[in-house]
Amino acid sequence: MISETTAPTIQECRWCGAGAPADASFCPQCTKILPLPRRRDYFTFLGVPRRLNIDPADLEQRFRDRSRQFHPDYFYNAPLAERRASLERSSYLNDAYRTLKQPIARIAYLLELEGALTPADKAAGAGATKVVPPGLLEEVFALNEELDEVRDLRSGGASKDEWTARLQRARQPIEDKRAEHERRIAEVSRQWDALLGRPAGDAERAGVLQALGELMLERNYITNLLAGIERELSQ
Amino acid sequence: MAYSNKVIDHYENPRNVGSLPKDNPNVGTGLVGAPECGDVMKLQVQVNPETGVIDDAKFKTFGCGSAIASSSLATEWLKGKTVDQALAIKNTDIVTELSLPPVKIHCSVLAEDAIKAAINDYKKKQSVTAKTVAAQEKAQPTV
Ligand code: FES
Repeated sequence: MISETTAPTIQECRWCGAGAPADASFCPQCTKILPLPRRRDYFTFLGVPRRLNIDPADLEQRFRDRSRQFHPDYFYNAPLAERRASLERSSYLNDAYRTLKQPIARIAYLLELEGALTPADKAAGAGATKVVPPGLLEEVFALNEELDEVRDLRSGGASKDEWTARLQRARQPIEDKRAEHERRIAEVSRQWDALLGRPAGDAERAGVLQALGELMLERNYITNLLAGIERELSQ
Repeated sequence: MAYSNKVIDHYENPRNVGSLPKDNPNVGTGLVGAPECGDVMKLQVQVNPETGVIDDAKFKTFGCGSAIASSSLATEWLKGKTVDQALAIKNTDIVTELSLPPVKIHCSVLAEDAIKAAINDYKKKQSVTAKTVAAQEKAQPTV
């Protein structure tokens, strides 16, 4: 079975028919700009491995180099097909950089790419309730009740100090949870990167992806809770 | 997006908001969440052990209007149903009744999940109680 991380290694130049490496943007034979390959992904496009720890300076350099090469200004007088290739490459490049630049967006993209969490899953929320740890749901529920009480306090005319103090107390454990959560994400990301460095079984890879997927779901709750507290605090 | 009249009605006058004693062996509690929006829903049923019929249902939902309406409607439907009839409630029934648009379908899924979770919790409690009773009877052999 072909592993998902191995993208195709070769593409065919549509102008001269020569073979070109899959991540090449220009045909090594006729030097024309190549159309966006049908099977593509942001990592391959920027020429970086499918890792979660990416050197931001290196990524930015790659983005700049490519954006110069593909810039539509250089193709102003070129035939339509080449102009289109330059436009498509430029816009795909922007999407790729914007996504891979942010660690969280990068994880979400990797999960999508590896088929661990498809957009359809997300839309349907399929199976999602099952993987979120019940303990977290209870905390989320309790905190929402707390927010309700704070709103009651406020509408009952309690002093700002009183309800602010309660919100701050409620926030502390969530902040701790977020810090812990970020540590976990970093740890599992390192596990993923380590797997790429050696021959790993599909089961092992799937396990890491699953863990990452669960962490991403938990993250939504934590972010939401903190946003809820901020909203109340700013009242 | 416009909410249907039925959603608005349930949202403004939610039925059966509140909670039932969690530790009562005849009460099943389901707590579920939708990670994509961070909403949470708690739904509880109280079953008459003699008849197996749900005689009370309560909910508390922190979420969008559709989630509140879905859980409110669910508690209304649950009362008077047997446990098995309750498990037959589908999210699509809720979608139809409340005329939920496609983007709000996951809110009804949440309600269906909550019903299932509550019933499962009830069943689990019942089997534990049955086991303890059986164990106690074994431990004290009749003379
Ligand atoms: S938007 Fe989250 S349950 Fe409705």
